[in-house]
Amino acid sequence: MDTGSHLPKTGMIGELSETRYWIYLLLLPSLVIILLVIAYPTIYGMAISFREMRLTRPGLNGWVGFKHYLVMIDDPVFWVALKNTVLWVTFAVVLELGLGFIAATALNRNVPGTGIFAVLILVPYFLPNVVAGHMWALLLDPRLGVINDILVRIGILNSYKAWFADPNTALAATIFVEAWHGFPFFALLLLAGLKGIPQDLYKAAAVDGAGPIAEFRLITVPMLKSVIAAAVILRVISLVNSPDLLLILTGGGPGDATQVLSLYAFQTAYKDFNFGYASALSVVMFVILMVFAYAYIRLSKIGRE
Amino acid sequence: MQLNRRELMAGATAMALASQMGTARAAGAINYWHHFASQSEMEGLAKIISLFQAKYPGTKVTQEGIPNSEYMAKVSSAVVAGGKPDTGMVITERFADLVAMNGLVDLSARVKAWPGKSNFPDNRWKGLSQDGKIYAVPAFAFVDWMYYRADYFEQAGLSGPPKNFDEFVQAARKLTDPSKGRYAFSMRGGAGAFKYVIDVMEAFGSPIVKDGKPAIDRAAAIEAVTFYSDLFVKEKVVPPSAPNDSYRQIMEAFRTGQTAMVWHHTGSLSEISGALKQGTQFQTAPMPAGPKAQIARVAYAGNGVMKEDNIEDAWQWVSFWGEPEAAIALLEATGYFPASTAALQDPRLTSNKIYDAAVKTLDFGRLPNTFVGAAGWSENVVNPAFQSVLTGQSKPTDAVDRMIKGLDAAMR
Repeated sequence: MDTGSHLPKTGMIGELSETRYWIYLLLLPSLVIILLVIAYPTIYGMAISFREMRLTRPGLNGWVGFKHYLVMIDDPVFWVALKNTVLWVTFAVVLELGLGFIAATALNRNVPGTGIFAVLILVPYFLPNVVAGHMWALLLDPRLGVINDILVRIGILNSYKAWFADPNTALAATIFVEAWHGFPFFALLLLAGLKGIPQDLYKAAAVDGAGPIAEFRLITVPMLKSVIAAAVILRVISLVNSPDLLLILTGGGPGDATQVLSLYAFQTAYKDFNFGYASALSVVMFVILMVFAYAYIRLSKIGRE
Repeated sequence: MQLNRRELMAGATAMALASQMGTARAAGAINYWHHFASQSEMEGLAKIISLFQAKYPGTKVTQEGIPNSEYMAKVSSAVVAGGKPDTGMVITERFADLVAMNGLVDLSARVKAWPGKSNFPDNRWKGLSQDGKIYAVPAFAFVDWMYYRADYFEQAGLSGPPKNFDEFVQAARKLTDPSKGRYAFSMRGGAGAFKYVIDVMEAFGSPIVKDGKPAIDRAAAIEAVTFYSDLFVKEKVVPPSAPNDSYRQIMEAFRTGQTAMVWHHTGSLSEISGALKQGTQFQTAPMPAGPKAQIARVAYAGNGVMKEDNIEDAWQWVSFWGEPEAAIALLEATGYFPASTAALQDPRLTSNKIYDAAVKTLDFGRLPNTFVGAAGWSENVVNPAFQSVLTGQSKPTDAVDRMIKGLDAAMR
């Protein structure tokens, strides 16, 4: 049978395909696309942070070195936003991970009707942030909100509470909404991880006398470590970079009570049209995320397994 | 040559498509960005488009609505990326930023040659012109006024709406009864709060910008912020949700009977009329006067051409908005006041008593402050600074200092 291997190779391409450079040639289109789509915008964005770039004052544009970073040090809103970003991301991820674990464990039981519950649990994640934000703004509305009504009826509140108008509750309320919206992401990934754990391990542990807590601690968590690490990193990146929910619920207020870095960068770019300073804020977020991802992977020892 | 049925249909379809494409190319097609959102606004826009198509059948307008809060973000992105629309809505507060970012085309020559220009006195063009150049055609006006619950005023024994800030506070105390969930005033403390903070500051005698330079009078501004925030902090005549209340919430509070007064402009008349009965349940009045000035804005909104590609069709569209038929169509749908004096003479407007307060306001109303950086300073500095006072996180002095510092930075 003629496999075609005896056919003569023609021209330069034929000769090149026999060399070790062929692989690089095949990778070239992808590399060009990556450079254009990822590397160029990233580097350009970083370069802007060293320039004055104010859309409404073109005459001021030019290189300013580290000016924006120095201004940032004395900018009280930056420090408030940084603190709020840490709180917002930490509490949201912890809540989402916890709720996601509970949901994934429940869905992993394979009882009748699980499929319907799986779809219901995923519904919040399917909702765009904008829709979820407006929906919760109405649910928690201080005049018409159903949640307030329920809390008053069961005696937890004396009167309707303006959750987003009080700096003591605004951030917590937005974290609650974010947790509701984001926990299905963890549920989905953890459920996939749980399905991959061999049942033999649990049977063997049961024979050795392990209870549910010991099984969870010694089998489930270690077996899901990679999934948890990946999910946490992805979620942290998403939360640090997404201001949309806060933009709708509070706009960063009242005062700066719910101001976070991504929202501050957005407002600086699209309200002040100060792209230079906004870019510097974004670079800081980028660095924070890189440091976090590196530290988290090191601490969770994922790379060693 | 013989054609079977399938070939015949394919040929006919191709010819039809080709003829359509030819028509589309021959006829002008322009797009229009706006920030209309409510049902009444969209009805008004649809009516104007339909009137326009009847007058200019050769020009097709495609409208694209952008949420008001995102409008400048989208326009600035379009300017940077080179994707500007043919035409777009322009309001006075954003005008300076739009011109500064090269977002508008100079229309001076076309406006001068336009017969409709005589219907627009000079003050209509002021907020849409810069350095002697006209960049947009006025279409309608937002005239600030106050809505008040006539029935609540009667119940409280109040003979009429407050004419100044002292009367306003006196009335507010009488109208507030938290045990009934009733408050006197819908204060806008969330998105858009800056507008009334700035108005109150000017009413207490503090300018914002003078001769293109920051000009806040610190003492007067502190007095103003103290007075205005005290309505919430000390007098408690404002709903507790005020620090996060934006347009939707203040209107909702008024429409549902939680509040007895709300400051806004003529644009919300249609919405309020849909929920409450004019005359017996609600009435309109000019804005109360402050110790130094009576401040109400008359902001002329217009439409500008954003790129030159289809300038002839674009000009037809933006100038059509200045015609009386378009202005009255919008007024009927939304209550938006016409900018054209010809439209202001229309009996549908002159015979309706509800508009009296707006007509009076035209005599003393001021244009909004417009300077490069106004939008950013207002939303990113004035809003959070004032909210911080409402929530007890800072004092009026700190808030005013933050505003002064922010204004200096914005105009530097």
